[in-house]
Amino acid sequence: MALRAALLRHVRVPVQTLTQTAHRHGHPFSLSTTILRFMSSHDDHLTKEEVIDRVLSVVKSFPKIDPSKVSPDVHFQNDLGLDSLDNVEIVMALEEEFKLEIPDKEADKIDSCNLAIEYIYNHPMAEI
Amino acid sequence: MAPSGGPRLSGLQKQVLSLYRGFLRAARLKSLEDRKKIESLVSAEFRRNAKQIDHKNFLHIEYLLRRGKKQLDQLKSPCTVGLSSINVTLPQTQHTRP
Repeated sequence: MALRAALLRHVRVPVQTLTQTAHRHGHPFSLSTTILRFMSSHDDHLTKEEVIDRVLSVVKSFPKIDPSKVSPDVHFQNDLGLDSLDNVEIVMALEEEFKLEIPDKEADKIDSCNLAIEYIYNHPMAEI
Repeated sequence: MAPSGGPRLSGLQKQVLSLYRGFLRAARLKSLEDRKKIESLVSAEFRRNAKQIDHKNFLHIEYLLRRGKKQLDQLKSPCTVGLSSINVTLPQTQHTRP
């Protein structure tokens, strides 16, 4: 009997830690959803049409651009008369729209609506 | 992914564009008002230099790149806002003033 009482007194401690760990489980849950987001396929991702629409609307809203000239096939410098600095500004505006950070090496290559659309569509972190 | 035509960029041009991008990124971290000021000043400064400086004057362009990088480092400091960043990004006007 004395043994049982002693044991019960000890049992109480592990029970408390158990409820604590159960509480802590709430955190990894939200973490796992962010990890899931990493691996998300295009199912819950942007559709190509959405990407095209949003890229075009960002480009159209650029002050130096005539919105009527903008189509998915336009080249920023050849067709819209922009310079390389404007090109940087457009890519930066797209970064903000889709909550991305495009590294310099990639950003230098994005010189047309088509390439911008391809890059963003294939980017796993592009935000809906 | 290859660029779809248009002018090829030289190494020096890439550095200039990267610096420009750096300034715009740094400006994003400031208040909206400061950001607008910084963006318009930086944009004007880069465009002015692009027009005025001989594209083959590599020494001068490299000098401006180094100076720009230092100014960008100052701008990145969270203490640098508004007016101080304007002075930082427009040293040309400081030089001409007596």
